[in-house]
Amino acid sequence: MRRSPQITTMFVLIAALALTACAQFKALPNLPASHPERITRGPVACSECHEDNQKGTLKKFAAFDHSRTFVQNHRFYAASDDALCASCHKFSFCNDCHANKVEFKPSLKNGNRPDRMMPHRGDYLTLHKIEGKLDPASCYRCHGRANNDLCVACHR
Amino acid sequence: MSIDFKAFCRVFSALLLAVLPTAVLADGSAESTTILRFQQDTHAGFQTRTMVPLTEFFGVDADGAGDGNLSAHLYGWGRLDLADHNSAYNGGEGVNGALDYAYLQYRFKQANATARAGRFSIMEGILNEQVDGVSYRSDLPYGFGVSSFGGANVHSAKIIGAHTDGKGDGIFGGRINYRKGGLLELGISGVYESDAPTVSSPNFLPGTFGNHRLVGADIWLRPLDAMQISGHTSYNTETGRVAEHSYLLQVTPVKDLVLTVNYDEQHDRDFFYSSLLFADMVRNLNQNSRAAGGSATYTLPGNVELSGDYKHYRRDIGQADRFGGELRGNFLDKTLKGGFDYHYLRSSADFAIVAIAGASGSYHEARAWAMRDTASYFASLDLIGYFFKKQVEGKDTAWESVGSLGYHVTPRLSVSGDLSYGQSAQYDDELKGLLRLTYNLELPGKGDLKR
Repeated sequence: MRRSPQITTMFVLIAALALTACAQFKALPNLPASHPERITRGPVACSECHEDNQKGTLKKFAAFDHSRTFVQNHRFYAASDDALCASCHKFSFCNDCHANKVEFKPSLKNGNRPDRMMPHRGDYLTLHKIEGKLDPASCYRCHGRANNDLCVACHR
Repeated sequence: MSIDFKAFCRVFSALLLAVLPTAVLADGSAESTTILRFQQDTHAGFQTRTMVPLTEFFGVDADGAGDGNLSAHLYGWGRLDLADHNSAYNGGEGVNGALDYAYLQYRFKQANATARAGRFSIMEGILNEQVDGVSYRSDLPYGFGVSSFGGANVHSAKIIGAHTDGKGDGIFGGRINYRKGGLLELGISGVYESDAPTVSSPNFLPGTFGNHRLVGADIWLRPLDAMQISGHTSYNTETGRVAEHSYLLQVTPVKDLVLTVNYDEQHDRDFFYSSLLFADMVRNLNQNSRAAGGSATYTLPGNVELSGDYKHYRRDIGQADRFGGELRGNFLDKTLKGGFDYHYLRSSADFAIVAIAGASGSYHEARAWAMRDTASYFASLDLIGYFFKKQVEGKDTAWESVGSLGYHVTPRLSVSGDLSYGQSAQYDDELKGLLRLTYNLELPGKGDLKR
């Protein structure tokens, strides 16, 4: 029987999980469940107060400064450091844009927050016919398998 | 217009009941955003339709249960059309809703270890899944870490004609990572979904749709203090080909200047393979897609960011370039913010809405916005315009203006209203309005309120 790479990967994962049972956990501190002090209004720059490497992610705090570059590319951080994101954000913050079933476009729900870099402002219904051909992968990252009601109404 | 008060009361009774669990815990929060819209659709030859959808977004985070490390998290939304329960608003029914997540989480005392059970999302490495099941993650000694999940897939809307959403029923996967402090993170991740449903539709090209099974690797590398590389590559084990490369290089030559270079490459048949919705588009999109570009962002004194960017798209069906810039700033202790943005997409006729000779997919985009948020009131104005090189649906431009005004009744409760007006390829005139009630309940706990 052919063993798929995913099955092999799963065996490795289980072995690694078993290791956790005998690991010396006490040497591995937790990230705080929430930020210990009140944070000022956004955009937040972690490096204003922190200089060292972040203990949980082992990355410089400056890497998480919420600059324009960070916000545009936050997917790379969310894919490996979501435990750090969770110190300041509820998961519902992500759900404004990333959900299996959205009620309406994020910029409508947050119409009072033009500062947030949200997609699909204005007449995107027209523009998506151009942008969708140009860069369908950018659509796929959020809409890929969600089959949003508005998408399936026309794309069938 | 008649409002169904019975239905209205049912929605808010459910809301109040859902708040109760947090009241018995020492720590936690509840959030509620209620949005009421009023819409009238008038088309020549059709009966005028009035829709008054009331949507409630609701979330609870109840912490400190059990030995203090157990928590419960829930978020979802529900909608009721107060004017007509049977209206087909937003492509769905007059009554609709979704449970985005609902899970119990146990947070261990060391190693950032957490276990979850219920409905949750997984974003690890190349994975992006929503699951009804269990998950576990932990740091391991010597810089390693592990996460895994398994359960039932959360199904989504069925594709009309195919009578399925294209997803298998079961799913599991995980990620192993290694971190070298301040220098490197490497991750390997994979997902295995049970067999995709058989789709018997003449629309699909053979071999474009199938099982959701991927493996991939991701990297974060900081070889120099001023340089950082992030990215991932995914491989579709069903098609036996690379699905995607996506990489970002960031360089900070001086303190306030950030330069980026990005490269993205997708092989559409392999990348869209497990999406019933996107797989069907492969016939038009062909196979190879590459985009490369860069940006420069400079932070000026006084919290002002100036940035410029350029991106080149190369696809089997044509090429395009996008370039532009943005200026944004925040003032008065970040209570006043504003920005201006301009971009131009220069594309071949292949990307036009109707790709015929002489058509164009090129357009200018300009946006200006400002907002003020004080202890008592908040207000914003957002103007956005698109200027087409060749007319779209007989229009040279499309534009929208959105104004919002709100009041903080208490630090936890605010009420606001948005009004927007615009003209577009879809509508000669489009006037929209909504009322928004936002409530954030925070029970005593440690640290800052999460957002």
